[in-house]
Order: sequence, then structure tokens, then C-alpha cells
Amino acid sequence: MSAVVKTTTPFINKEMLLQALDCLDFKYTIKGNEIVTERVDYYGNQKFVLTNGRYQFLHDSSANRTVYPWRNLNIKEFKTVSNFLVAVEKEYNRIYAEKLAELERIRQEQLAEQERIRLEEEMKRIEQERIAYVEKQKQAIIQKAKEQGYSIQEKKVNNKVKLVLTRNTY
Amino acid sequence: MAEQTITIEIDENGKIKAETEGIKGEMCLDELQKLLEDSGDLQSMNKTDEFYQNQTINVNNKIQNKKL
Repeated sequence: MSAVVKTTTPFINKEMLLQALDCLDFKYTIKGNEIVTERVDYYGNQKFVLTNGRYQFLHDSSANRTVYPWRNLNIKEFKTVSNFLVAVEKEYNRIYAEKLAELERIRQEQLAEQERIRLEEEMKRIEQERIAYVEKQKQAIIQKAKEQGYSIQEKKVNNKVKLVLTRNTY
Repeated sequence: MAEQTITIEIDENGKIKAETEGIKGEMCLDELQKLLEDSGDLQSMNKTDEFYQNQTINVNNKIQNKKL
């Protein structure tokens, strides 16, 4: 005889687990590392307890598959523990996927922002390179003009540098 | 006494246009070459009528450098 055992997704994230319970409209109270639900069995309230890094659901084992006969366990449509956990798992996984998608969206936005900043910096660098080149070119001409005895007048006309070099010959 | 003038325009991309006035004959090209030899590749050069006149007449030349 063989057996197939399935477990629920480990409920690692407290915030997402609480959101899942909220989505299922389950009331709960938080007591330290315990999330105490309104579900009740022979031993009292069923609860999630943080154990080895995950929230494990603690309950009377007889409440696992069957409808508990003597207490008001039949809360909403989740009459058995299994049904309840499957429903919580479904919501938890949905919230988890949404959270991942949101984080991915933010990551993509940050990448886009980083790329925008990089392009802006590249544009600035190219612009500074151009300005520096023009200045260097101008200085080289001025230097040579001085060496050849020209007097130099510099003007700026429509974003252009205008150098008027004059000298007198006899 | 004669006045020699060279007008140089450098645009925002570093492209140069130079014009001489009062420099006789081939001398104007020599002068421009001295000033602009490191300023990029020559794109075009227009000699005006004055360039071909004798050296007692003012010469007006234009030289334009290609931008880098």
C-alpha cells in the first residue's frame, strides 16, 4: 500500500497569513507568536503557532477531516480543518503572488529609473566633452594667433564663438 | 601700414569657418593653415576673385573646416 501526503504551503510570512485570514473574513487575535482563530474544537481555539520558522496550525486531530460534532466548528463553509487550510493556502498563495508581482514591478521601475539616470549622465558627459573640445580648439587658435602677432577679439554670437584676429603689416 | 584680419567662427559642435581679409595671395592660405592645422579636417575652401588678384590687392578667402 502506498500513501500520498500533501502539505500546505508553509505559512512563513505572518503579514500574508493575516491578510489571507482577513480575505476569508476570519476573526483572529494575536498573542505573541500565536494567531488564535475563532475556530474551536475539543481543546479550545485552533491557532497558528510559529514553529521552526513557519506558522503551523494546531488543532484537535479529530477535527482534521470530520465535522466536529459538539462545538460550533462549522464556521462558514470551511467545516473541516483540511477545507479551512486549503482555503487559507489558496489566499496565502494569491497574496504571495501579488506581492511578488508588486516587488517585480517596483524592481522594473527602479531599473527604468536607473537607466534614465544613466542616460542623463551619459548625455551630460557627451555635452561636457563637446564643450571642452570647443574650448580647447578655441584656446589652440588663440595661442597660435598670439604667437603670430595677432590681437584677438572674442565674441559670442548665436552660440558661436567668433574670434576676430587683426595685425598690422608694414 | 596694412591691416590683416582673420575672422574665425567656431560653432557649438566645433565646426570652424574662417575668413581672411587683407592678406595677399597665397599668404592667406598659409596663415589659415598655421592657425587651424590642428582644428580638424578641411571640408571646403572657396577662393574669392580677390585671391587671384596681384598681391597689392586685398584678398578675401574663406575656409571652412569639417567638425570632428
